[in-house]
Amino acid sequence: MKILVCVKQVPDVERIVVRDAADGMAALDISNEFRMNRFDEFAVEAAVRIKESMAGASIHVITVGPGRAADVLKRPLGMGADQGIHLKTPTDADPGPAAVAAFIAGYARSRGYRLILCGSMSEDGLNGQVGPMAAAYLDLPYATQVIAIQPAPDPSELSIEREIEGGAREMLAIRLPALLTLQPGINRPRYPSLSRLLRAHRQGVETIPTETLRPAEAWVERLGLMAPPRMRASQVLTGSAREKADRLAAILKEKAFI
Amino acid sequence: MVIAPCANGRVHPETDELVAFGRRLQALRAGAIGVCIVGGDVNVAAREIAQRHSVPVTAIQAAGFSHYLSEPYVAVLTEEIEAVKPAFVCAPHTSQGWEWAPAVAARIGAGCICGVDGITECQGRLCFQKELYGGKVKGLFSVSTTTTVISVMPGIFTIKPAPPPCPPGPVTYKEAAWRPAQTRYVGTRQAGVDASDITAAPIIVAVGNGIGSPENIALANRLARRLPKAAVAGTRVVCDRGWLGYDRQVGISGASVAPALYIACGISGASQHVMGMRGARFVIAINTDPRAPIFNEADICIVEDIIRFIPLIEEACGRLAEGTKEAIDVR
Repeated sequence: MKILVCVKQVPDVERIVVRDAADGMAALDISNEFRMNRFDEFAVEAAVRIKESMAGASIHVITVGPGRAADVLKRPLGMGADQGIHLKTPTDADPGPAAVAAFIAGYARSRGYRLILCGSMSEDGLNGQVGPMAAAYLDLPYATQVIAIQPAPDPSELSIEREIEGGAREMLAIRLPALLTLQPGINRPRYPSLSRLLRAHRQGVETIPTETLRPAEAWVERLGLMAPPRMRASQVLTGSAREKADRLAAILKEKAFI
Repeated sequence: MVIAPCANGRVHPETDELVAFGRRLQALRAGAIGVCIVGGDVNVAAREIAQRHSVPVTAIQAAGFSHYLSEPYVAVLTEEIEAVKPAFVCAPHTSQGWEWAPAVAARIGAGCICGVDGITECQGRLCFQKELYGGKVKGLFSVSTTTTVISVMPGIFTIKPAPPPCPPGPVTYKEAAWRPAQTRYVGTRQAGVDASDITAAPIIVAVGNGIGSPENIALANRLARRLPKAAVAGTRVVCDRGWLGYDRQVGISGASVAPALYIACGISGASQHVMGMRGARFVIAINTDPRAPIFNEADICIVEDIIRFIPLIEEACGRLAEGTKEAIDVR
């Protein structure tokens, strides 16, 4: 079984600084530290587990992004993927989910993947669109927010569970080839192994410029950023840590919580 | 065009929110609102929506339909949207809408924005607002295609009190072939967790990624013991790592809580979590990042590392308790 896993390189969200900009807008200071989208680690792990349980399975891992994005393929290769594919965009700008999905679909079409796995969304865009869009472009059955994957009695199917509101689960049977986007918590992603990382380093990745795939249409444009509005008083306590703790204790007392 | 969620023949409450969102759009861009509902037995629900909101409703009856499934749902909606050619398609940002909306957008060549929580006019263009970067900032997006597909965050847009009696909107009945070829619905399993410990607690000490390691959960437990009837809860990340059981998870995929006091420790404040704690009466947030979105949801904000700060709270509460005791002794 050939499996394709889609991963994205994202900036370290915790290190992003939001600044006030002109006209009540906001600006971001994004550090130069990038890593693999955490949601995608679950997709890589799921693929590696399938490979371990199935003779002859192989895993290709694909990413779309500028030159630096090739680095994001190392971790999945270190976790057990066999081949990395970098669809290289000409600029640093994120082409957006529709274009990314079209590039991935353009590459995956007629390459015989039985299963395509994605994370349920990316930490930066929070869109969750690439998976369903790629499935639409490839005309594949798909399911999102998948929290369990099991082999089905019929080997041409998978038994899956989707997480729906309140933690309930929809149980489905889906015929292969199919595309699934996975929820965090479906597994515990392993750490990459050093020997695999070294081998991945020697092996390199396949690089394809996105210009050769298809034109990327920019349908959605980001016009600006805004700091989120305050929903409550947001009173900031000041002083030393001890002073803040004393003030907090006084507030708890005042409100009769202690 | 509002797509009412599929709810086995009943009107789903999110339909009201989507109509409210449609009305908000109407205030910025003139146009008519229509509702479309797809399912096995939707005629009664369609009439109810037409009555309640005085809008035209299209009921697409699909024989053999028992439960929502992405594949046939996308096929039926794509056909209907291509026939109607609406400027906006509004879906709920739920496990259903978030699944089908991007695929429908891809099929019809429409721009798509998921998780919209606001609409504004920006540089003379209609802008949809949504969270980015874990909720740290909101992005304003504009779409250039003839049709825009939007999934609308639940719990944001509310309908105004019922207007004076209006005539019900017309209902159009259609039939669709429902052929789930590649996917099959097998059943639904309810969440196997009992979250009553946290839903009933008047005080919640909640921990997020900032707790750092499973050993530090003990800090939260100690703080909870200092507070009357307090329970410890956590975010999805903490539960996924096994540091707390899923019966302790607050958020969209866990429990919704409304305690008198919610202490958010090392929680960044992504909307998936925040939507489960908005009902809290008083919120204290402690986080090292002064721009963490949780501070927008807090009454009291403390920029500190919880690992060092939780013991200080305990000490301060201790000092306060002793002070009170001394005062009583003096009397």
